[in-house]
Amino acid sequence: MTDIIEMSRIFKIFPPSLVALDDVSVAFSKGEIHAIVGENGAGKSTLMKILYGMQPADSGEILYNGKKVKFSDPGEAIQAGIGMVHQEIMLVPQYTVWENVVLGYEPVKFGIHLDAKKARELVKQKIEEFSFNLNPDAKVEDISVAARQKVEILKLLFRNVSVLIMDEPTSVLTPQEIPQLFGELKRLRDNGHTILFISHHLEEVLELSDRITVLRKGKKVGTIEAVEATKAGLAQMMVGREVIFESIRKDQSAGEVLFETIGLNYTDPDKRPRLKDVNIQVRAGEIVGVAGVEGNGQLEMVNVIMGLIEPSSGSIKAVGEDITRKPILEKRKRVAFVPQDRGNMGASVAANITENVIMTHHRLDKRFTSWAGRILDFKQASSFTDEVRKKFDVQMSSGEAVFKSLSGGNQQKVILGRELLLEAPFILLDQPTRGLDVGSIEYVHQQIIDMRAQMRGILMISADLEELFRLSDRIVVMHKGKVVANLATDNTNVTEVGYLMLEGAAYEA
Amino acid sequence: MNIITGLINGMITSATPILLAALGGSLTYYAGIFNIAMEGMMLSGAFFGMLGSYYFHSWPMGILFAILGAILMALIFILFAVVLKMDEFITGIGLNLFSVGVTTYMLRQIFKVKGAFASPEIVPIPKIDIPWIKDIPVVGEIISGQNLIVYIALLATIVVSYLVFKTRFGLRLRAAGYNRTSLDTSGVSANRIRVWSLILCGVLCGLAGSFLSLGYVTLFSEGMSAGRGWISLAAVILVSGNPTGIALISLLFGFTDGLGLFMQRSLPSQFTSMVPYVATLVALFVYSVRLKKKQKI
Repeated sequence: MTDIIEMSRIFKIFPPSLVALDDVSVAFSKGEIHAIVGENGAGKSTLMKILYGMQPADSGEILYNGKKVKFSDPGEAIQAGIGMVHQEIMLVPQYTVWENVVLGYEPVKFGIHLDAKKARELVKQKIEEFSFNLNPDAKVEDISVAARQKVEILKLLFRNVSVLIMDEPTSVLTPQEIPQLFGELKRLRDNGHTILFISHHLEEVLELSDRITVLRKGKKVGTIEAVEATKAGLAQMMVGREVIFESIRKDQSAGEVLFETIGLNYTDPDKRPRLKDVNIQVRAGEIVGVAGVEGNGQLEMVNVIMGLIEPSSGSIKAVGEDITRKPILEKRKRVAFVPQDRGNMGASVAANITENVIMTHHRLDKRFTSWAGRILDFKQASSFTDEVRKKFDVQMSSGEAVFKSLSGGNQQKVILGRELLLEAPFILLDQPTRGLDVGSIEYVHQQIIDMRAQMRGILMISADLEELFRLSDRIVVMHKGKVVANLATDNTNVTEVGYLMLEGAAYEA
Repeated sequence: MNIITGLINGMITSATPILLAALGGSLTYYAGIFNIAMEGMMLSGAFFGMLGSYYFHSWPMGILFAILGAILMALIFILFAVVLKMDEFITGIGLNLFSVGVTTYMLRQIFKVKGAFASPEIVPIPKIDIPWIKDIPVVGEIISGQNLIVYIALLATIVVSYLVFKTRFGLRLRAAGYNRTSLDTSGVSANRIRVWSLILCGVLCGLAGSFLSLGYVTLFSEGMSAGRGWISLAAVILVSGNPTGIALISLLFGFTDGLGLFMQRSLPSQFTSMVPYVATLVALFVYSVRLKKKQKI
């Protein structure tokens, strides 16, 4: 195979001293799916942004089709045939699919008139050419995230790109949507497109890619053929040490019931029942995992527990007290909460790290305030930030930096640090490791296990079965708003849980 | 009959500058700019329009100068809000104050008068008689014989509507407002679209200004825009930028303005001239109550 892109000796330094890419050379062949893997902050995204013209390299050169290129903005890269689908989807939600696809590349009549008919027709043709199963007239705000991602890909194909860069495309998808995306990407490859695929998820990488390049701390570890790679081997290349995949629980007997939901029902404003008689108990020193295909009531349950929506009936008890309709501060004395949506619910991304770290603490812990809670003590706050940074191994420049400047893994560590240091007896975790790299996942898991050893009660919702089996003492399965099973992890297996998730009932042996 | 045609003509006259400025505001609204500088652009347009007409003894030069004067203000807005990325609201406030100051200063320096300047050498923008139609009773008195700028405003409504919804520029303009990163990553600079929307806003506000000093009356007085730019802003926000909606709202404001004049027969003028502003407040109140209801559902 011939190399379509050759990046050689790329250096990138973010002042003052962060070396994001340190002498990275990598070549991509025409018509391959090439995965770029590495921990958060390994330099994967930076490398792709340099290729795509979003950031300049400090040194090094890029050959594209044998010619030296240097794109000064994404527009030039697209012109040359290289397109990138970003992690967060960048479409105009108020526009239809075809309007989004043609934006910036519109067919016109008389110089200014938008030729809507022709544009729609062209988009329809592209949809059929790649059998994408999209309605060109649907509004983007009305379609699923998976479909939006397809629109992003289509938008690039409409501009005739031959190289597609996908930045963690599966992180926004539900497990059922992933195979379809992979099918489409493989079809594109077979059409001669080259696909560069940034991912954390080793299973996906092994399934999808032809070759894999591993980066670690800004350096290239190596490029290997996917057929020769194993999950453990890749993980070791990524983190530079062995990663444990087995259950890591130690034997321990659970204590009294710390948390329970009693007959929880919730019907949404469209009169659809979302939770049906949900009863879950969590004991001290116990991790209860919640399995289920996404959209089967897990999110509603979390929102009801945290008081974001009011249950139609039923109650929630934590540490022996009914907290169903208690004000949030009262709940927070008993419940630590790590939401799945870091950017919107877990933190204020525009505030700085220290401000995020002391949230809730500043109301519950007297040492952060004086004058009866009116004046914040920033000295205390910043020493507390330091504590979190040390205890939870957060990579950050200073507490003054804005929260969104942190990488995903470090954001999660900050949130986790804040919540676990609340010393609430019960901990609610919603997808605690989604979007994190292997090293961070391992770290988070260890923290969760430590909390269990401290006899806290933990309820963990996760879409990752491996995670559930690794950590939970018991697994409850949710299906269509109901708890359909409550199983001891040691007495069940992935097949059984998977079947329950899909069918809502145990298979008859 | 005379009262009604008078009232309607009064309504059209009062609505015209608001309509033009609001159409300019509509373009910047769709581009996602919080533009409150229509007031300043309009005032600058009125002054320079008068200046051009006075020096060249020609109303077309007046219109040209009005447009250039307003664009000058738009360029200052672009420099601060788009290039230097200053806060749009602060820039707008500053520009509006600057416009009052600079036109007053120039009026006093150039013409050595305070308050207002009128001269027979200022050539007004003519009224247009439409043959045939002008002879129709009542209707003719309304449709024909209006100031040239009134017809331009009508045309501008159609053109802006077409521009926003049917052209390539319009698709990009709205995209800049809805999601500018999307537009940027599509290879079109959102800032460029914003700059163009502001320049077009300047053109429309310039026309509005020329109507104030060369159409409505033939003089320039200090601060003669008298809050019309703010009312046009209210109109834009009220209908979320929709040009047709803006035309209707402007007529409504024009009507209340005419009504105010009409009521002067029985009420002190200080009260009657409040009518359009009160109407603005009421409209904003109704709008926000409606919006709140919508959000609840």
